[in-house]
Amino acid sequence: MRNTLAAAALACAAGTMSFGALAAEQGVTDTEILLGSVIPLTGPPALLGVAHTTGVKVAIAEANNAGGVKGRKLRLVMDDDGYVSARTLQSTRKLIDVDKVFAIPGHSGSGQVVAAMPVLEKSGIPTIASVGPVKAIYDPPRPNVFAVGSSYEDGIRALVRYLGDRNPGKTWGIITQDDDYGVAVRDGFDTVQKEKKLNVVLSATYKRGQQDFSSEMARLKESGAEVFLAGGIISENIAMVKEMEKLSIKPVTGIFWPGRVEAILKLMGPASDGLYAVDYVEPFGSPAGQAFMEKAKPLVSEAEFKGINRYTMAGYAGARVLIEAIKRCGRELTWACTNAEMARTKDLETGVMAPIGFGPNSRFTDSRLQIMQADFATLSYKPVQ
Amino acid sequence: MRSGTFKETYPELIALTDSRLVWFWGAVLAIALAAAPYLVNAYLLSLLTAILITVTGVLGLNILTGYTGLISLGHVGFLVTGAYGYAVVSGRWGLPPLLGFAASGSVAALLSLVVGAPSLRLRGLYLAITTLAFAFIVSHLIIEAAPLTNGARGITVERPSFGGLSFASDQAFAHLCLAIAILTLFGTLNLRRSRIGRAFVAIRDNDIAARAMGVNLHAYKLLAFTTSAFVTGIAGALYGIYLSYVSVEGFPFLLSIEALAILIVGGLGSPLGAILGTIFVTLLPELTRSALAMFGSEAEALFSTGAQELKSILYGVVIILFLRFEPRGLVGIWHDIRRLWVHWPLRF
Repeated sequence: MRNTLAAAALACAAGTMSFGALAAEQGVTDTEILLGSVIPLTGPPALLGVAHTTGVKVAIAEANNAGGVKGRKLRLVMDDDGYVSARTLQSTRKLIDVDKVFAIPGHSGSGQVVAAMPVLEKSGIPTIASVGPVKAIYDPPRPNVFAVGSSYEDGIRALVRYLGDRNPGKTWGIITQDDDYGVAVRDGFDTVQKEKKLNVVLSATYKRGQQDFSSEMARLKESGAEVFLAGGIISENIAMVKEMEKLSIKPVTGIFWPGRVEAILKLMGPASDGLYAVDYVEPFGSPAGQAFMEKAKPLVSEAEFKGINRYTMAGYAGARVLIEAIKRCGRELTWACTNAEMARTKDLETGVMAPIGFGPNSRFTDSRLQIMQADFATLSYKPVQ
Repeated sequence: MRSGTFKETYPELIALTDSRLVWFWGAVLAIALAAAPYLVNAYLLSLLTAILITVTGVLGLNILTGYTGLISLGHVGFLVTGAYGYAVVSGRWGLPPLLGFAASGSVAALLSLVVGAPSLRLRGLYLAITTLAFAFIVSHLIIEAAPLTNGARGITVERPSFGGLSFASDQAFAHLCLAIAILTLFGTLNLRRSRIGRAFVAIRDNDIAARAMGVNLHAYKLLAFTTSAFVTGIAGALYGIYLSYVSVEGFPFLLSIEALAILIVGGLGSPLGAILGTIFVTLLPELTRSALAMFGSEAEALFSTGAQELKSILYGVVIILFLRFEPRGLVGIWHDIRRLWVHWPLRF
């Protein structure tokens, strides 16, 4: 009789456990939580996509080395979207419906997240957007989509205000890209230009993908601009700085965070020394940046370590937000709980940016910004006081 | 059992098909496609929707390149114009979606007159380069016309509702795309067997001979451009709705090349080829992924993480192989299979 009772109890326990497993969300088993990332991993945008993924991997490895999340190990699957919106849409659907991931700790660029938004919103899958946080991602706030970073407009305003205060009465030049990123940069600039009555002597736009800036830089020289905002991303900023070097002009130059990658300092050469930049993640020249590098080194491969840049920190911070929320949900892991816990995130210290927090009607960290300056000798950026 | 093809009258010659079996299997396929959205998962549904939209666009290009022999590298210009036509009329102005669709086709067709005019004097590579320039000009104009198009910021597009029907769900939107693809297919098939279609083909085969036979080259070339652009514009509207967000960035130049690749792989000048080519090119990466999955998860991951580079390589290899070994494309292979089936055991 006792054996029968024990068997019945075991059967009940097994049934409860299996029911628990059945009730769990997709991507969650007793031993594993599957996470997914849609990001550009090939072509020129891979510079940001691969680095961002490395950051997510650092956060996952850190959690797994600490025993996982309530006994479950985290695993990441990635899908390359090539930075093309239609492919981002397909990849997002694939992650949700074929790979059946539990959450997306890293989603592609700003336009790509906006294109995939209906799918993300409809599914309810916990999602972090930490590559290009634009307003359309966090306003209106969606229950399951969280943006980590600062707005382009705020960032450019901070940089222009800083440069304006440091260079009163100087003439300005600005060149921006002809896409949504360029519009955001220009909007931010225009606000401060009106506020501080900056004397703009050159204002131009260029077509995305343009590589030759000899004409624009000749006009910059002719205009006599003393402060210059280079609104390119990676290769464009390199071309502009190299062209300025060729023309023997060196205005006080500011670049924006999408192009604030250490690797470009080497490509720009000595002309990069003294470039100003703004960012919400720590520069690697700071103690926090160095601490992150030390943390990352044993957790990723040598090739991944070499590819680390600011996007790695952004990816790491976003993934930490998600992992902490998953931890707080415990064994009864659901999308609803994870989304609710992410919304409750307050003052989360990641070590790579200001403490992160969201709110019931806030899906954007709106992180604190800092101005930094390039140091060619050490190929790094250092915070300026 | 059919033992050959005998056409004795012109109506027989230009009929869509003289086989009831073809109509039967066509109806079965249409029913299967209509049921598919309820049977497949969201990812496969997304692929199906993408195929249907691409079929519409490629059928549009086929009118120009396949039927009339005019090469266009700038069809993405009509695609983006159609997408913006719909997004501005329906999204920004809040007018009924049907007007949005009408605008998407009409604006693209009107613009095609601009690029169609040089085609009266230019051919081959020169025309291709002209159309390519057109695509770049269109992108630039859209960005500059910010008060109308919202410039580089793009426009968010909602799923349409009209005629008492809502196409908000993925299934309903797939049905809308299916209906438009079928309409386009029948439209292009009927066009091909009409006097206009025969004039297009005559121009493609030899425009001097066509003119000698009384074909008005100016009128028919422009008609080919406008018809093709109209259909491509409608496909652009569907693509914009599919993406839910229309911006110039979402319509890279590569789409023009992909459309031409589909026509080459499928078989130039054949609507069936356009469909087969679209299915083949869209599903090729998925089939490759599945094949790699058989070698383990690491091989599959290699494809996922290098998908875009591998896709480009795959497209290139496939085009080279088709041009080298089967210039008639997939439709040529299909005809061989049909002949084998009809004539077996005799040599086809």
